Amino acid sequence: MTSDITRIGPPGTADGPAAPPAGYDSMDDHELLRLHVAGNPDTFGLLVKRHRDRMWAVAIRTLGEPEEAADALQEAFISAFRRADSFRGDAKVTTWLHRIVVNACLDRIRRRQVRQTDPLPEDEDRAAELAGPVEEDAAEVRERRLDVLKALKQINVDQRSALVLVDMEGYSIEEAAAILGCAPGTVKSRCARGRARLLPLLRHWQTTRGGSDVPEKTAAETVGTE
Amino acid sequence: MTESGLPTSEHLEHLDTDTIADLIENLLPAPEAHRAREHVKACPDCQQTFDALRQLTEDLADEGRADIPMPTDVAEHLDAVIVSESVLRASTVGVHSLVQLREEPRRHLPKLVLAAAGVIVVAGIGVGVVISTADQSKEGGAGIIPTVPIGTVPTLTSDQVGPNVQRWLENANGPVLHAGPAELACARSFADGRSNPDVRLIQQAKVDGKRATVIGLQGGSQRDILITVVTGCSSAGGAAAPFYETSVTLRSR
Repeated sequence: MTSDITRIGPPGTADGPAAPPAGYDSMDDHELLRLHVAGNPDTFGLLVKRHRDRMWAVAIRTLGEPEEAADALQEAFISAFRRADSFRGDAKVTTWLHRIVVNACLDRIRRRQVRQTDPLPEDEDRAAELAGPVEEDAAEVRERRLDVLKALKQINVDQRSALVLVDMEGYSIEEAAAILGCAPGTVKSRCARGRARLLPLLRHWQTTRGGSDVPEKTAAETVGTE
Repeated sequence: MTESGLPTSEHLEHLDTDTIADLIENLLPAPEAHRAREHVKACPDCQQTFDALRQLTEDLADEGRADIPMPTDVAEHLDAVIVSESVLRASTVGVHSLVQLREEPRRHLPKLVLAAAGVIVVAGIGVGVVISTADQSKEGGAGIIPTVPIGTVPTLTSDQVGPNVQRWLENANGPVLHAGPAELACARSFADGRSNPDVRLIQQAKVDGKRATVIGLQGGSQRDILITVVTGCSSAGGAAAPFYETSVTLRSR
């Protein structure tokens, strides 16, 4: 594990203890993770900072609840921190992180289902906050973001996680299957059924675009959870 | 529509959305797929559902391209968790980030002390991977080890101490603190008794065959390092006994 390590820190100067960790920013994810495994105490935190918004998006879309998403992400990142040496260098670091985050989310959902508690309460203030800082986004962007989060929450979790990975995160069917640990055909089927469930929930997107309304029979379909 | 243009039974009933979604995803068996495709072509309602499903995929992709910024409180908490994890690991492998400790000493020090208490045994045993002479020879003579992997104990002769310390500090981006918590504490208390206690390096090592601790203190300028090699710090409750001293000047880059 240590044979190929040529340095523990980034290229820099020996200007003294106050020198900032310049040089890390230019490193790719593999390099940061490799340094973390070698014992560098700073690089994993930088990796987290680099990808946390992406992973937050995945977690919040998969779980639908900010508190749950925050807990799942914390579990996921601690797990990634400790298991970093199991990362195989031939994959992308983000794919590896996605797998850990998605699995942490699915674990939470399974635990929640086992507990059979009441559904988590809606927190409208928190939901609004999730749509992003007010000053940065146009109202319509925030509204769409909330629409998707709400709609995703209403569909079956297997369909939801498949759709988040394939349609929203842009993973191929095969990649999503590897992340979710199921057959590619299962992912395709979950995506198809998930889209069919989401369509009536997001039909106003299509009408606001100026096109004609989606047929009434579609809108009238009930939302199933299989 | 059929070739004759007459409606058939499959035109009378609309396809359900699942079937159309399956059609798009190529999940239908061939004959059924063919019938469904023909129906969609002939039925404006089903064609509209077909188009809407396709559009939905595009819309989701558009939406997916935008990150959702993590709320500040969640991000801060996550950062603190990672820092704690890092400090905890540091206390078990003998290195930690001074940057982090400087930034949040109050939050993390108690945890570090607790963790340190728990790992003194581990540190006492020593994470005894000794760097082989083959590794040293890679650097091309003079026994220079460019950097010391965490948790290892480099083997040096006393006259190799100066050049190695120089290289370690030149390759590092801050202080080099490679030793278990007990050894670090012992070396620090030794440093505290010196005229300039500014620690730049504490490195566990085997020097002239003895398990030793190499301590580098700042000299008259940032580039001057006063080096003392001591024994006694590697065992729990031990006191530093100096047996070799030297100094180096770092090259400015």
